[in-house]
Order: sequence, then structure tokens, then C-alpha cells
Amino acid sequence: MDIKWKNKKKTISFLILFLGISLSLGNLAGILREKPSNARFWQLDRLLEDDYQESGRFREYVENRLWKCLVMATGGEGLWDTWGYEDGAYYDGSYEEFYFPLEAVEGIAPDELTEYLDSFASMQENYLGLLEIMEELDEDQWTGFQSELEIYQEEMESSIEFLRDYVPRLDREQAGGLTDDQKQKIVQKYHENMKGDKNLLYTIYYDGKELYNNWDTAMAEGKTMPSLPAGYNFLLYFDGEKANIYKDGKEIDVYGDGYYRDGSDWHLPGYINFQADDSTKKAVVYIAVAKEPVLYTQGDYGSGGARQYDNALYWMNKNLQDRRERILRGFYGLFAGLPLLLIAFFWKKSCKEAIEGIAGFQAKIWAEWKVLLFFLLFYALYMQYRVFMTVSYGYDIWEDWYQVCVYDQSLDTVLWFFRKLAGGIHPVSWVAMFWGIWLFWNDLRHNKAIWRHSFGAKIYRAFTAKSLSLSMTKKMCRRNLAVFLTALVYGLVMLAEVTVSTVWDSWGILTAMRILFVFETVLFLVLQYMAGVKNMKAARDVEILADRIAQIRNGDYREACDREEEEKPVESELKTVMAQLEDIRHGMAVAVEEQTKSERMKVELIANVSHDIKTPLTSIISYVEILKQEEELPDHVKDYIKILDEKSQRLHHMVQDVFAVSKAASGELPMQMEELDFGKLLQQTLADMEEQIRGCDVTFRTELPDAPVMIMADGQRMYRVFQNLFQNAIKYSLQGSRVYVALRVEGHLALASVKNTSRQELDKDRDFSERFARGDQSRTDGGSGLGLSIAQSFTEACGGEFFWETDADLFVVKVTFKVI
Amino acid sequence: MSERILVVDDDREIVKAICILLKKEGYETLKAYDGLQALDILSKEKVRLVLIDVMMPKLDGLSAIMRIREKQNIPIIVLSAKSEETDKVLGLSMGADDYVAKPYQPGELAARVKSQLRRYTSLGDIYAGDRTGEIKNGRLTFHTEEKVLYADGEPVRLTATETKIIDLFMRNQGRVFPAEEIYRRVWEEDAFASENTVMVHIRRIREKLELNPKEPEYIKVVWGIGYKMEKQEKNN
Repeated sequence: MDIKWKNKKKTISFLILFLGISLSLGNLAGILREKPSNARFWQLDRLLEDDYQESGRFREYVENRLWKCLVMATGGEGLWDTWGYEDGAYYDGSYEEFYFPLEAVEGIAPDELTEYLDSFASMQENYLGLLEIMEELDEDQWTGFQSELEIYQEEMESSIEFLRDYVPRLDREQAGGLTDDQKQKIVQKYHENMKGDKNLLYTIYYDGKELYNNWDTAMAEGKTMPSLPAGYNFLLYFDGEKANIYKDGKEIDVYGDGYYRDGSDWHLPGYINFQADDSTKKAVVYIAVAKEPVLYTQGDYGSGGARQYDNALYWMNKNLQDRRERILRGFYGLFAGLPLLLIAFFWKKSCKEAIEGIAGFQAKIWAEWKVLLFFLLFYALYMQYRVFMTVSYGYDIWEDWYQVCVYDQSLDTVLWFFRKLAGGIHPVSWVAMFWGIWLFWNDLRHNKAIWRHSFGAKIYRAFTAKSLSLSMTKKMCRRNLAVFLTALVYGLVMLAEVTVSTVWDSWGILTAMRILFVFETVLFLVLQYMAGVKNMKAARDVEILADRIAQIRNGDYREACDREEEEKPVESELKTVMAQLEDIRHGMAVAVEEQTKSERMKVELIANVSHDIKTPLTSIISYVEILKQEEELPDHVKDYIKILDEKSQRLHHMVQDVFAVSKAASGELPMQMEELDFGKLLQQTLADMEEQIRGCDVTFRTELPDAPVMIMADGQRMYRVFQNLFQNAIKYSLQGSRVYVALRVEGHLALASVKNTSRQELDKDRDFSERFARGDQSRTDGGSGLGLSIAQSFTEACGGEFFWETDADLFVVKVTFKVI
Repeated sequence: MSERILVVDDDREIVKAICILLKKEGYETLKAYDGLQALDILSKEKVRLVLIDVMMPKLDGLSAIMRIREKQNIPIIVLSAKSEETDKVLGLSMGADDYVAKPYQPGELAARVKSQLRRYTSLGDIYAGDRTGEIKNGRLTFHTEEKVLYADGEPVRLTATETKIIDLFMRNQGRVFPAEEIYRRVWEEDAFASENTVMVHIRRIREKLELNPKEPEYIKVVWGIGYKMEKQEKNN
């Protein structure tokens, strides 16, 4: 699988996941939102019910209409509070006229009354406002306002009086109730409003007389089952005591066991515990309902347009069908989304990679942006929600909350509120919320310490000195700039605020405050600026000082005035510090000079001493040689000469070694560093010493790698190192034992080791590399005692490291170099 | 054949010892105890070779060498207690032919004297020009056709293998050969544990042609890399 396809697959699989989740979640939320409150999510038959006559709302409507019909039959008291719709369902009947049919009663029109009430309210408001202002008035204004107030007072009084005249007429209880004539008018009006809606046909008989009827065909009175017109399938027949309901020709059991309970379907008179009164018993009502309601409109051109009749059943059915359609669509969406989720599950790996990719992208965004976007998303959703709620309910959702908090603080209402709150959220908003939270969570899960990559962190880093390699001046400069900018912003904000608040300024206090603010801000900025300039100057001085310290640290001990690049002299604040530093510098210069001098003298001394030793030694060696060639000497004298020869040679070696060690120690040893094969060096050294090795009674075991181990060293010196080590091994090893020479590469280090078993017991507290240290303290063997010391100094001079350790009688030397 | 050698050193005992040594080898000796004295003797006597110390009163060795070189072309061997590389280079570049560090090994000193004299006297003219089939390097001359190596004009007895090694080295002076390569080219076999074998032969060759096999001048080990024939600066 090539990379291109892999990337494509990543994108596709994530898109599938995205679509799957969005579809499933959105549609699930949609279904839950649309579902009728009495149905559970899994009750599909109830969710997808397409017969509106099965709904509780329909029953309620029919019950109500029967009640209204009975009211109409028995007299007409109680029709003005005809019920509207609850639950936000759309209802386009203009029922204002029968809702508050005052004009039928006599008196003022409702809009007139509303107007009065409005003007009264505004007058009252003005009056209160004036009272508030009054407290801040001076003498002249006082009288002016007083007259204004009086006018208001008069107006208000007359308004109140006017309204008071109407109060008795408004209050029906006080007026002693409606007259029969008025009742009749209301009923008539109601009948006119309702009869046009032929979705519900009714015929009302009272006392054997037909009172109202909106059926086209007249019906014969009698307790018989009337034949329904075509298109109508629901019949309610109230015979004065009980209601009989037939649907699609079948009778429905209305009363059950005869008692009305909370769960009973029909709330109609006729239960044992819900009987109709005597006047009602004279009424007979037939109600027929259309199977598929239609919209009834009347062209009412005389009054300037068309008007709709009640049409509640039409809208009920339409809403039901629409909702069913929406729920169905929701299920389709849900069933489209689930397989996608399944596919995404099978492509888990690609999805995971894609998600990680998104997280990687998120990691590049400043955390502030992310938080801001997160809150913006939720704010946008919230605003959309509020607008939506306000438009669809006509009031803000928080008014409900207010109701819940202030009036009804039960848990149920709180739950109801939240259900309503959640129910109002659009499915798209749910999906958007989900993805918003998901993005945040994804970021938190995959990106550690997301705050590290943020503007704030950047600023923080910019102002913590250690992360910056900027010079001190620049750092201080930045800091000052930041402070200055902050102050500037502060000043501007304050100015803006004051300017805005002066809109209400009429007494001069705010003007004074503004001047004060301006003054204060200017002062603040000037001070900040001055301090900044001062600080910057000081920073420059500090930098000069720091440079000076760095120079001294790097070994430049010259007098300040000697250096060409010398900056202007340090100023007042740091003058003493600088002077003290100069003292230290001077002291150090002297000390360093002394030290180098003594070092030089030491090397010279050693060179001279060794030279001075060499000269007499030359004579000794020469004459011993001459003596050796004398043949006529007695044997015992020849023995003496042999001893002289050996000791003089040994002295010669010692002088050479001492010279080498002291030069190496003082770092004066000339080195020729080159790339060489460590393994080969060891092999060559062993080969070079082969005769010696063969001549002794220890065996050498080598363990060298085949591949070259390249190091940087001086070959000649390293030969000396290993020559010394091998010689020591030969010299001090237990007879018949083995010497192990090994070379290993450990990471970046080449480690050569020489291990041998000592002939003598090793004193574990002794430092064998100490000069003149030897295997035995008596110093009778041939060495100068400088072998290890030379090996160590040479190794270190070549840039390697030299260790030795003892383990019982095992003596181990390790030489390490960096592999190149 | 008695050749006169001037021994210059401010240490009288050393001068005396060297004189005894050289007399035993059959040379005549002259003694001087400072640079000026040496120059004085050289201007009067006929001297074949000068052995001179560096640090001396009145006139130091190096200055004396420069003065001698203005007039004479005789071999000069520096004898000095300064044994550092830089001292040697300085001495040789001042006009000395050889440099022996104190304390010297009497045998080596004698060998060096002999070598210088032979080249100066008996071989100087014969080897003045290049002959075809000859490769030269300092004291050494290798006849590529005859496969014979001469040191100071005298043939060196080498075994067949040693001759092959010398052939390789003389033809590639200054080049460093890893032991494996030497083995492949000389033994014409795949190299296996070649280091020791090669080293043994090299040591034997050294013993035959180096004046001091412990401090070889011609065949050198380049530690950690291989072996090489050092190219000598003086090619007389």
C-alpha cells in the first residue's frame, strides 16, 4: 500500500467517521426532540402514529368542544376564555374576538383600553424618573421641573379617574353577571366563528329543539346513530347523560368501569363520579370529525382580507404528519449513519491516525485561540438558541427559569425546565457541540501540556531571562517596552471610558475627573518612559560590566584602557562595582602571571636538571663501556663492571622517564594526533614485544575485534602506554598466569583493558599510578616506577581516559577513547 | 687507514672516553673543549669528521657547525644531551649530518661514525649520480634489478622475503602499508594473523640495516596504522 493511498484512506476514513457520528447523533437528537412526550424512543408505533385521532391532544380537543357545545346548549356562560393551544403548536385562528369579546358587552374597545393602560404606564415611568432627577436639581431648575411635575400629576389623575369610571363595567362580578341577551350574543358570535370549520361538525339540540348546526344536512333528533357524511369517520354522540363514540363504525369504550381516574382516556360527563347536571340532561350533541381535516378559509373581503376558521384539527393533523415525516427522516438519517460508524470501526487504525493528525494540527495552534474558538462556538450556539426560543415561544427561555426559581421551586419544574431547555436545542447544534467538545478533548488527550504552546507561554518565555540568549540590554528593553505598552493601553482605555461616560456628564464632575485622568495618564506614561530610559542606560552599563567579567573569565587580564574596543567609561551607579572588578582583575592578572612563570620555571628546571644529570651519566656509561672491553681484568672486577653497567643504564631510563612524565604533566609534550586503528595499535605493540613476551612465563590472551576501531590519538605515545602496561604485566604477573588484553566498543567509547594476576599481594589502598610506585616497595627491580604514571599522562595527553582497579590480586587497567 | 676525528665537548671526561672508544676502532682523534678551539683546530689540521656537543662555552655547537659549513664539507655528528625531536631537527637543519643523544650507546656512536666516514670517503663519488635501476634513501641504496640492498655502500645480507619487503618499501618510500597489505604483496597469500609475522621480519631487517635498531630511522612503525620506510632528507 503506497503512502498516497494511505493518506487518502486516512482522510476518507475520518470523513466516514465524521459523517457517521454527525448523522447518528444529529438524527438521534432530532428524533428525541420531535418525539411526542408520551412515547418512548423504542415505541416506534407511537412515534410513527399517523392517525391524529389517536392522540391525547385530539381527545382533549373533542372533550373541549363537547364542553363548549354543552355551554352553547345550556346558555353561554363561560365562552370568553376559550382555550388556545399549549406546547408551542402553531395555531392560526384569530380568536382575540371571542377570547375577550368586550365589545359584545358594551364599553371601550380592548385596543382603546390597552392604549390607556400604556400611556398610564409611561406617565408613571416619567414621573418616577423625574423624582429621581429631582434630588440633583438646583433652585432654578427646581421650579421649572415642579411645574412640569404638576402637569404630569394632573394628567395622571385624570387618566386614573377615566379608568376608574370603567372599572365597574370591566368587573363582571360587580356588574352582576351577564344578561341572557348578552350570553346569547356571545354564543351566537362563537357559533359564527366556529361553524366555518367543517372538520368538526356539530349539531346541538336542547330540549328537543335544534339550536346550532353546521352540518349541511339537517339531522333528525333522536337517540339514534346518525349516518356520517363521506370523509368523516369519527362520531361523538352525547345523549344528555353519556357520550357514545364511534370511530370507523366501531364503538369505543369510553367509560371503562364507570369511574374517572387520572389515567382515563376520556374526560367526559357520564362517569359515575362525573355526572351532567339536570339542565345539561336536556342537551343532545352530535359531533362528527373529518378523517383528513382540510383548511377552511373565508374570503372576508368586506373587512379587507381573508380569515381562517378555527382549523385546530387541520393544524393538529398537519403538525402530526409533519412531525411524523421529520421523525421518519430522522430514522433514515440514523440508519444511514450507523453503517458508516461500522465502517469507521473497521478502519479503526486509519481513523486513529487521522485523529492523531488532527491533534498534530491542533498542537500548532495557540491554546488561547482554541479556547476562544471553543467559547465562541458555544456562545454562537447559545445566542442562536435564545433567538430561536424567543421567536418560537415569544419569550426568552430565561423567563421560564425565572418562573422556576421564583414561583415554583420544586425539583419537577426544574427538571421540566431543563427538558424544555434541551428540547429546544436544534440537532445541528447538538452535533456542533459534540464536535466542539470532541476537538477540545482530542487536543487534551493527544497533546501534552497544551498551554506550553500558547501566546501566554510565549510572552512568559519572552520575559523569563533564562530562555533568551539576548543581551541583557535587549531583555531589559523588551521588558520596558512591554510595561510602557501596557500603560499606554491602560491610559487609552481609561480615556475611552471617561469619554463615553461624559455623555451623561452635565455637572462638571466627570469633566474634572477626565482632566485628572488625562493628567494622571500622561504623568504615568512620562514617568514610565523616564524610568525606562534610565533602566536602559543602567542595562548598558551592566552589559559592559558583564562583558568585562566574561573577558576576565576567558583569560583576558589586560588593563581596561589597553583594549581598543573599550566602550565609554561606566557611569555613576556602577562605578564602584567596576572599580572593584578592576581590583580583582589586577589581582588575578598578577596571580596568573606568577603561576605561568613558576610553571615555566618548573619545566625549565626539569629540563636543566635532566640535562645536568645526563652529562655525567654520559661519562659513566662511556667509561663503563671502555671498562667492559678490558679483557685482562679479574672476574670479580668484571662482575662489578656489569653491575655498574646495569645501574647506569637504569639511571639513563629513569632520567628519560622523569623527563617525559614532567613534560606530559605540564602539557608541553608535542603531540601528533592522527586517526588510527586501536585494535591494530594493540596488535602491533604485542608483535613488537613478541620476543619479550615469549621470553617470559606468562601467556598473553587477546580479544580484539576484527573491525577497525578508529580513534584519534598520537600513535607513538599510545605505543609507549601499552608497552609500559605490557611490560608491567610481564614484570609483575604471577608465574604461569595469563594476561588478558581486550578491546571492546561500548557506545561511543573504545575500551581497551589489560588484566593480570599479580605475583605479589596487592595493597588495595595504594595508588599505583603515583610516580615511583612499584609492585614491591623495596625497589630492587629494573623499572623506574614511572610506567603507570607515564601511561596515564600520555593517555590523558592524547585525550583518552585511564583507569586502573584492583580486585583481590587481579590488576586491571582500562584505557578508553572516543570512537570516531 | 687512520682517519682523524675531532671530538668537541666541554666535558673533558666525555671527550677522553670518546677518544678511547674511537682509537679502539682505529681512528686518530683530536680534542677540543669549546667551539672556538674546534674552529681553530679545523683551520690548522686536516680532519675527516667532527663530533660536537651543542652546549659549550665561548661558542656553542650549532654556531660552530654553521662556521664549519662555510668552509668545509666534512661529516659532522652532533652529540647532545637534548634529545627532543625539535632539537634534532634544529641540529640537522643547521648542517649536521647526524645527531646522537647523550647518554650515547658507545656501539651506536661508533657505528654512526663509521657510516658517515664511509659515505664521505669511499662512496661519496661513486654514488654522486643516479644510476638506472637504483633507488636511494639516505644511507640506503637498492638495486632493483639485482635485488641487492646497500647500506653505506656495503651490501646487506637479506633473505628472499626480507628483500621483497625492502623492494616494496624502497619503491614506495613514505607510504604507510598495513600489515595485511605487506603480507598479501610479499607472501602473496591472504593475510591471516599477519601482524606478528610481518613484525618479526621487519625487526630482523632493522637489525641488519639500522644503526640503532631500537630507535629505527628507516623502517618505522606507524602505530595503529601500519609500517613505512621513512624518506630521509639527505640523499648523499
